[in-house]
Amino acid sequence: MTMLTIAKNTLGEAMRKKILNIFLLVALAMIAFAVSFASFTMREELTIIKSFGLGVIAIAGMFITVMLGVNLVPQEVERRTIYTILSKPVRRWEFLLGKFFGALATILVNLAFMAVVFLVTVAWKHQWQPEWALLKGVLMIFFQLFLLSSVALVFSIFTTPVVNFFLTAGVYIVGSLSDVTLSMSHGADKSPIVKGFYWLVHYLVPNFANFFTQNPLIHPESVIKNELLYYAQNIIYAIIYASVLLIIAILAFERKDM
Amino acid sequence: MAIAVKTEHLTKTFQHIMHKEPVNAVSDLSIEVQEGEIFGFLGPNGAGKTTTIKILLGLVYPTSGQAWILDKPAGDIETKRQISYLPETPYFYDYMSGIEVLDFYASLFGIDGAKKRSRIEELLKIVGLYQDRHKRLSQYSKGMLQRIGIAQALVNDPKLLILDEPTTGLDPIAHSEIRDLILKLRDEGKTVFLSSHQLSDVEMVCNRVAILNRGTLIKTGSLDELLLAGQFKIEAENLDKAMIEKLKEVSTYIDSKSNVVIIEVADGEKVNAVIDMIRPTGGRIISILPQRRSLEDLFVEIIREVNKK
Repeated sequence: MTMLTIAKNTLGEAMRKKILNIFLLVALAMIAFAVSFASFTMREELTIIKSFGLGVIAIAGMFITVMLGVNLVPQEVERRTIYTILSKPVRRWEFLLGKFFGALATILVNLAFMAVVFLVTVAWKHQWQPEWALLKGVLMIFFQLFLLSSVALVFSIFTTPVVNFFLTAGVYIVGSLSDVTLSMSHGADKSPIVKGFYWLVHYLVPNFANFFTQNPLIHPESVIKNELLYYAQNIIYAIIYASVLLIIAILAFERKDM
Repeated sequence: MAIAVKTEHLTKTFQHIMHKEPVNAVSDLSIEVQEGEIFGFLGPNGAGKTTTIKILLGLVYPTSGQAWILDKPAGDIETKRQISYLPETPYFYDYMSGIEVLDFYASLFGIDGAKKRSRIEELLKIVGLYQDRHKRLSQYSKGMLQRIGIAQALVNDPKLLILDEPTTGLDPIAHSEIRDLILKLRDEGKTVFLSSHQLSDVEMVCNRVAILNRGTLIKTGSLDELLLAGQFKIEAENLDKAMIEKLKEVSTYIDSKSNVVIIEVADGEKVNAVIDMIRPTGGRIISILPQRRSLEDLFVEIIREVNKK
């Protein structure tokens, strides 16, 4: 109940943040702008619109998540709102998880807006036939951002929002290049230290690349054999990884002087 | 009478990355506040008042020593149902209206339904914000924010209120209203732990005070004990010059410019001595008044004395 109250408040406040509203509006405009793509064949055009739309959703979602995540707890400390809340019968973990789930709800609402405009844009170009399968791509983006927001939350316990912004963005970029880190961890011509370093980076940093399932333009050779299993694996990976990060965040937050 | 707040050898040391030496924010602090008291917690800026309050609320962990609130260790979650806190210059979610903020804080206590609605309405009336209840907090003045802060601190009908500078930024009318509200809370049997720089307020409402400086407790006691300090002022007449000279030996101050001589003495025994000297010579004692210093005088004197050392 307490967690829900804090989550609702976090959502209410985040949905009124101008910077996040601007990200959302720009993303919505860009997705809708894709209807003007007309210099290709119909099939190419649809592929580009889908790829572009999901790309915009992923990038805008990433920015919204990072901006939201890095300020989630530090802002409450800076404004001293945390003092009035934690002096009430609110456990620290309830507060932290309430903030986290509030951020997730914000991400979900933002993604929902973008998904609606995206589906309408694609349907417009496709004789008004809705392509519900695209929602699977949005779902994977959501779980990617779920994992990313837990990264931002952990860092926010230890660092300032500015440092956290670069750390979280850095982790996202490295985690999105998991194919590169994997290939760097192999090869006979590299020293064991370099290979070990890339191996460690590859397995320690969350694998964000696996959540980009949608882009046949970039990965035309990739075919998902068992789609359901693939999605389920990635979702479970996100939940387990985020749970570990949340436990670390809670343990650190419990010991922190406010 | 039960104890509402107790600390024993409470110490909090902060180690800042940039400084070699650790800083003692609170040092070996032992205080007791009885239930039903209004306790003034005083000290200059940086004396350790806010750190102590944060320890009491479980927001900061002590380096050593212990603290209890209503007989439970500080930070106990169930005890927090019976206490409330108003931080100095509080900030609330300014996208909310007055009524929404109180709704939010009431929900944190699990208060809901009709009980919540009636409690919020009652509180808005108590702090004089009923007319502005639907206004966003971003449109509230500093004084209105302070009032909504007090309303949120009363939402759970607490046994103990911890107020940090509750009258900061208030105009004289609002200031006196808050002071009256604190007195009303005392009459209702609530305990108030009041940290304030407004020494005239503290003198007016508090039963006992503790004075802190640089994290250390300098003085604690009831206001009567601290302010009366044993001095007396005696007014007498029909005294000749020889008598006035004799009285100078037992007094701390004499004003003999007019017919009525004012004699100040350090304690009750000296009062007896003065009476014994004056009466046999035909002198007349007009009045004997215990001398009461203002809290401000005492505070300034104590802090200056300590800082000299």
